[in-house]
Amino acid sequence: MTGLDLRRPGDPGSTLTLAHGRGRLLRVLSTTLVASWFLLPFAPLALWAFANQWSFPSTLPTEWGFDGLSSAIAQGALPALGTSLLLSLVVAALATPLGALAARALTFGTVPWPRTVSIALLAPIALPPFAAVLGLNVLLLRAHIPPEAGLVLVLVVMAVPYTTFTMRVAYAAHDIHYEEEARTLGASRWNILWRVHIPLVAPALSRAAFLAFLVGWSDYVVTVVVGGGEVVTLPLVTASMAAGIGNDSAVAILSLSAIVPPLALLALAGFAGRRPRTGAVQKTPNVGERP
Amino acid sequence: MSRTVSLHEVSKTFGASQHPALTGVSLEVPAGSCTAILGPSGSGKSTILRVIAGLERVSAGKVVVDGTDVGGIAAEKRGIGMVFQRPLLFPHLSVLDNIAFSQRVGGASRVASRRHAQHYLDLVQLGGFGARSVQALSGGQEQRVAIARALAAAPGVLLLDEPFSALDPALRDDMHELLDDIRRAEAPTIILVTHDRDEASAVADNIAVIDGGELLQHDTVDHLYNRPASIRVSRLMGGLNEIEGTVQAGMHVSPLGRVPVPANTPDGPGILVIRHEAIEVSPCTEAAAPPSGVIGHVSRVRRFGPRRMVSVAFRGGLLLHAALPPGDAVRDGCRVSLTLPPQAVSVVAVPIGPVFGEPGSGAPR
Repeated sequence: MTGLDLRRPGDPGSTLTLAHGRGRLLRVLSTTLVASWFLLPFAPLALWAFANQWSFPSTLPTEWGFDGLSSAIAQGALPALGTSLLLSLVVAALATPLGALAARALTFGTVPWPRTVSIALLAPIALPPFAAVLGLNVLLLRAHIPPEAGLVLVLVVMAVPYTTFTMRVAYAAHDIHYEEEARTLGASRWNILWRVHIPLVAPALSRAAFLAFLVGWSDYVVTVVVGGGEVVTLPLVTASMAAGIGNDSAVAILSLSAIVPPLALLALAGFAGRRPRTGAVQKTPNVGERP
Repeated sequence: MSRTVSLHEVSKTFGASQHPALTGVSLEVPAGSCTAILGPSGSGKSTILRVIAGLERVSAGKVVVDGTDVGGIAAEKRGIGMVFQRPLLFPHLSVLDNIAFSQRVGGASRVASRRHAQHYLDLVQLGGFGARSVQALSGGQEQRVAIARALAAAPGVLLLDEPFSALDPALRDDMHELLDDIRRAEAPTIILVTHDRDEASAVADNIAVIDGGELLQHDTVDHLYNRPASIRVSRLMGGLNEIEGTVQAGMHVSPLGRVPVPANTPDGPGILVIRHEAIEVSPCTEAAAPPSGVIGHVSRVRRFGPRRMVSVAFRGGLLLHAALPPGDAVRDGCRVSLTLPPQAVSVVAVPIGPVFGEPGSGAPR
């Protein structure tokens, strides 16, 4: 004992710890509230998905089962899921590099009248899709463009504003000097793109790709009009079943399965977007450390 | 393998700009030497490096490396390394993989390039840091890694663009020592851009003083301080003392008196310049002036760390500034005798037209 009457953070009764504890409690509480705000609507959906029967006034389904699932499959949910995934991935694969190119050109000033070009690129967001698509459809039909290609084309145009905007934010913070440094180290254009540029903007690229995927994934209007019934996606199956009566559990199954791919992608993007903290050097021991 | 770099009448104008960034710069940097390019902000010194590296094209003139005009050679093929003011370490690569970058893009295997990189990591005294993420480094360590990365590409010429200006003074001294070690070990030709006179004289064999896109003087460190080519160079090198007068038969005649000047100084009007560090100041005295000395009165004493700067006033409002070692021998108002050693005195031409800045004021520190 030194006899000093010092109070340290963490000592019982310390006001510092008290404030800390209270702050943490508030944080946990608010997070729980926000999470339940998002999750609560899914509770009835989850219940309906496995309810063969649920009559009023029961609080829970009166008969559990997989009728909804088999009914959804019977209505072509599985091929529709596949089509939706393929369509959204193709849209993301096209709209992301296009958005990145546009954003890079706009940020580094290689485009004449950058303001006008930006507005033109963002225009598809402002336009009501129905109006634009009806007009475009005539054009696509006249040009004899197959409905699948026309659908991809229109969805890519609708996704490009999102990818461009996301990538512009990334390029605004991007330091072109990294690429100059790589050049003085002997890197070719291809090496710079592959080993410097893409890794540096990878988090933004995955965000942009996710947004473009969502544009394709959640589209209904364009698929109906331009796809002309040739392309049946998950939203189309869901909508047609929701329009009928007594399909509640099948609609619930379809809605829930529509949530899974974007969530999985979000988790993947979050994981891929994280910078490696320690690097990959540990794979070859004795190289990174002095003996 | 170090290489000679020569600039022949290099000019550079950016876009539609009215003011060229460089005008007719000719500079010869011998293989294995270290030249500092010294100048204030915006003087065009970084542009010189970018032109040599191939990151900018010249508007006129040519850049020659070892006798070859490199104008048509892309930056990535010139074999000229560059370290910027910011370390610019690739955040997605570990410390070792950053240094191994040049070997990797050159086609070496991962294992071979890392083995090669380890040597350079050891050279910059960070041997055990290879596996770390670059985010875990301090500012000084980052710049060491950046230098190691540039050296690992085995450049014949290493360009350093104010690489130490963001570091604190103690770290900067460490880096100057590191640069000496590197010169001993690898002997690359080094061209260092700086706005810091002390740094330039600490690391370089020669200094090229540049201002307004023009090369004013390229000379040894001693000559730049003691034999400036013009009043502009004297001011940029931090010279404080300028006495207008006339040279007559080896003597500079001014209200200060007659001061002996170097033998080859031509007769006619000229400005006498002398470094404040070179002037010897007597203690307060009533004695007559020594042969190469002048008598004045102390008008002001200012402290600069352990040293002091005295301003001594003479008849006609003339002022001379002298740096003094620690001590208490002079005080305001006392009569002192100043000795101007002939080997430190030099005379420069009276400029035609205005010279920007005041003596010592706009000068880089």
